Amino acid sequence: MEPELPKAYHRATLVDLLDRVLDKGLFLRADLVISLAGIPLIGATLSVAVAGTETMLKYGILSDWDEAIRAVPPEQRRLLRQQRPNELPLGSHAGIAETV
Amino acid sequence: MTADLANATAAKEDGLYVYCVARGDGNRLLGSIGLGGQVVYTVGSGDIRAVVHNCQAEPYQSQDPQVVQDWVVAHQNVVLAAAEAFGTVLPMAFDMIVRGSPGGGAVAALRDWLDERRDRFTRLLDRLAGKAEYGVQVLWDREGIAASLVQSDDELRGIQDEARSKPKGLAHLLQQKLTKAVRAAMEKQADLFAQDFYARIRRCVEDVRVDKLKKVDGGKQMLLNLSCLMQQGSGELGRVLDDLQQTKGISVRFTGPWPPYSFVGG
Repeated sequence: MEPELPKAYHRATLVDLLDRVLDKGLFLRADLVISLAGIPLIGATLSVAVAGTETMLKYGILSDWDEAIRAVPPEQRRLLRQQRPNELPLGSHAGIAETV
Repeated sequence: MTADLANATAAKEDGLYVYCVARGDGNRLLGSIGLGGQVVYTVGSGDIRAVVHNCQAEPYQSQDPQVVQDWVVAHQNVVLAAAEAFGTVLPMAFDMIVRGSPGGGAVAALRDWLDERRDRFTRLLDRLAGKAEYGVQVLWDREGIAASLVQSDDELRGIQDEARSKPKGLAHLLQQKLTKAVRAAMEKQADLFAQDFYARIRRCVEDVRVDKLKKVDGGKQMLLNLSCLMQQGSGELGRVLDDLQQTKGISVRFTGPWPPYSFVGG
């Protein structure tokens, strides 16, 4: 945490987290990733998520699978996006030290 | 390998949910902190490792938003725990599950993936060491700025004054003209603000990703949505943002530190 928080500092909301966890981060290669009911998720996602499509086009869908594949089922994305932003209990990850 | 670890990591299912990639070799047990309380551990290959839990080879999905929210928060908390234990991490997106191939199990497939990406992951881990991601969203109060624009612009104020003094029909036309002129002025002002703010923010951070603008409530509008990479604990960005907020009608949402979700691709 910053030593002195700027006035602009806000507690992260669920939306802030979703923007990162769903849309960003590393993706797996196509042949490793799990598909939904036999449909590769990339196909389902392409038809649903416009933002995702743009990202994929930018990266070149077929040339760089690793960056372009989204494994979050579209239905799941929709559900998540409907939620209202809540304060998040982030940073509660106790239990690590004693188990290592 | 301890008995606990061997027990926890014995593959009963054929999938591995992957949270992040980090430096270090050997298997480590992080405890029951995964999605749904799953046991989280590491699978190493050479000097890099992936933080995982065992799962079935199918995506996590639920109709219950609370369940899904808990999963996403758990994902984030495992990434944070891994960062605490191993230093810099490359976070995965949610629901990234490795499946075994006919030739081998999920662990083998994951190791292959780590091997294949080793150079890239190593470079990224070096580049991101000691740094964190911060979210910066610059908002403006559209109504308030529109009103002050009309007050400060002679031409716009002229139209407004004229509209007030004319009969209803003509006043309506003038009002439309004013609305159009204000919209054009607002667009121009928004561009000016966005360029100026971006330049000021860019100067004090290591790297920036420009994210899509989001709809916001309360008569505000987003001008800039950035993810910034910078040295953790650096106060400069905060000072610049506080400075930006001195501009009338401008407010800033600053969040972080985040794991570098925006800086592991591309």
